[in-house]
Amino acid sequence: MSMAAEPNELRDDVLNGLQLSTQLEKVWRTPSGLVGALMSVDHKVVGRRYIVTAFAFLLLGGILAILMRVQLAGPEKTFLSADKYNQIFTMHGSTMMFLFAVPVMEAFAVYLVPLMVGTRNIAFPRLNAFSYWMFLFGGCFLWISFLFNAGPDVGWFSYVPLSSLQFTPTKRADVWAQMITFTEVAALAVAVEIVVTVFKLRAPGMTLDRIPLFVWAMLVTSFLVMFAMPSIMVASTSLILDRLVNTRFYDSSSGGHPLLWQHLFWFFGHPEVYIIFIPGTGMVSAILATFVRRPVIGYPIVILSLIATGFLSFGLWVHHMFVTGLPQLGAGLFTASSMLIAVPSGLQIFCWLATLWDGRPVYRTPLLFVIGFVVIFVLGGLSGVMVASVPIDTQVHDTYFIVAHFHYVLIGGAVFPLVGAVYYWFPKIAGRMLSERLGRWNFWLAFIGFNVAFFPMHILGLIGMPRRVYTYTADMDWAHLNLLSSGGALIFALSFALLLVNVIYSLRKGELAGDNPWNASTLEWATSSPPPPQNFDRIPVVKHRDPLWADSESLPVVAGLSAERREILLTSLAEAEPQIREASPEPSIWPLLAAIATTVFFIGSIFTPWAVLWGTPPMAVTLIGWFWPAGSKEDEE
Amino acid sequence: MTEADGHSRLLYWAGVALGPIAWAINLQGVYVIEHFSCEKTRTSGAIVSAILAIVSLAGALISARAVRRNAEAGWTDARGGGPRTFMAWLGVGSGVLFALVIANQLAASLMISPCLR
Repeated sequence: MSMAAEPNELRDDVLNGLQLSTQLEKVWRTPSGLVGALMSVDHKVVGRRYIVTAFAFLLLGGILAILMRVQLAGPEKTFLSADKYNQIFTMHGSTMMFLFAVPVMEAFAVYLVPLMVGTRNIAFPRLNAFSYWMFLFGGCFLWISFLFNAGPDVGWFSYVPLSSLQFTPTKRADVWAQMITFTEVAALAVAVEIVVTVFKLRAPGMTLDRIPLFVWAMLVTSFLVMFAMPSIMVASTSLILDRLVNTRFYDSSSGGHPLLWQHLFWFFGHPEVYIIFIPGTGMVSAILATFVRRPVIGYPIVILSLIATGFLSFGLWVHHMFVTGLPQLGAGLFTASSMLIAVPSGLQIFCWLATLWDGRPVYRTPLLFVIGFVVIFVLGGLSGVMVASVPIDTQVHDTYFIVAHFHYVLIGGAVFPLVGAVYYWFPKIAGRMLSERLGRWNFWLAFIGFNVAFFPMHILGLIGMPRRVYTYTADMDWAHLNLLSSGGALIFALSFALLLVNVIYSLRKGELAGDNPWNASTLEWATSSPPPPQNFDRIPVVKHRDPLWADSESLPVVAGLSAERREILLTSLAEAEPQIREASPEPSIWPLLAAIATTVFFIGSIFTPWAVLWGTPPMAVTLIGWFWPAGSKEDEE
Repeated sequence: MTEADGHSRLLYWAGVALGPIAWAINLQGVYVIEHFSCEKTRTSGAIVSAILAIVSLAGALISARAVRRNAEAGWTDARGGGPRTFMAWLGVGSGVLFALVIANQLAASLMISPCLR
């Protein structure tokens, strides 16, 4: 297939082989040197930075978890003070939710989605770079505040009135609220990029029913981000306004209401769980198909489940508020939704089990993590159905039963697939295989450590241990189970240390991967490992849901894109028919400068409202620089 | 795009959209009219839910009709390439699934008094 070419422009249909690769690399590569690196808009470079940064925050959040488990390993320990413990559990939750779980999923999408849909870069690549810098600066802001003893201590949910000026007169709650704004700006930017990439940049022929399941999962997730995140941004901004300029959004004596905070927070907070979990299901589907050597059974059912889960996730938030005295019929409606969301999740599980049953499984490390996911997530789902019921929820509310439940759901539902995904896609990203031997140790330590750490928490909750207590007395009979849990946490932490060792070792000495070491079926495996700056020398044409299994020898391609400037192909929404050639932005320093200006604006505005005034001109200048017409060849035509 | 083409495209999307919309209206609507239900007629929530369950099922039926028209497109074909029929099948599933959720909420409306605090 070839597209009509403009005269006098070098296009990829007149070049071949090495000549074409060299020319495209010259056009699409990130400029060399430090400034060049800071200017990069390559989705793979930004994606790698996102992944590494998110895992760095996982490490920091994990260290905090270990500190908490040391403190709780026995009764009346004084390893941490009450104040420090409050900061640490808040930092642990905030880091894991806002700086690790959501960003790492989006990071994988930033790296993989353009490759999987067969295009040369993500949509809005400069926004992508801006998003990364905002995420980095927001995370650093939170952690630097913590190191200066100004870390938030009001829980990852920052309930009012605890977080109001009256009860938290320091800047700790402001730091939390503004960190939210940073990370949500970053998340929203990536969500927009993913939606546009999936809708408009798919390779010709990749109709809606040929989109890989991981890409579908990221599409649904991106819509969840776009509808859920504004709620928490409104909440955090109004909290800052209450604290800084004496508005009364959450002050019941002046017409506000503390429950408004809970509604806004959980309208975001519950979909957040699915924003973390749904990408995990996409990873599971990708890994499973490859390692059982057959497509996932029930492709339409899995997609229906993803979409239905996405919708339903917005109708569950009140189950976090069952003990706030809501009308019982209202609680009943949310109980119904909460229980029924198990149906689409269950459908997916059955599709995966059927695929496993019908295939020829090859038990490599990624598949082991998928099986671990199924076991742990089903247990977490069962306790989820329990707490969807008002009487049980009322009984176990704010106890360690809830801590156990959400760690089973989040670690089982997201972290196990994520680690599996690291083993699965590391060869594509780094060009080398991770050690299989270390991987198996990694899996078993993680599986055993996780269950030893978190299963006892169910029992601790049922016998009455509340959450968020920094210590307990010996006569409560909680000591043995807490010690067991702390031991399990250490084993679990060891599994991540082993993953780190494996990554560092394999980056240097791992076996060379080749283009498609797993014999997988999706397009990211059609290019070299690691992929070149242009991703593909020619854009593939998709004629099958599993293109590499159907056309393993000669993948059809489309030619006619420019070979002397950055150009991508736009296709139609449903049928993915070629529509137009479009310029893709060049590297630029402006996204970084805009992120710095926005950071100054955000941080300044928690100290003085005047920051809104003097913080705006620098932002405006950077945005003008960013969008200043570059006079590309496309404009001249 | 011909008029018939546009009409059939609408049918595909109507099925995908009606289920979630009916469910969202039911969730918020029954919650909102709770005070009215308590003071005036206790069955109003159940009536709203019943109507919206039918709307959701209607979405499934519309999509099912669209599937029948394109029966030759073979939705289970592993090659893919029939996006409209595929979306229509999603509409059938979506309509049935959300009708099930609304039916559960209908059961809640029948069992729990709107006056109960």
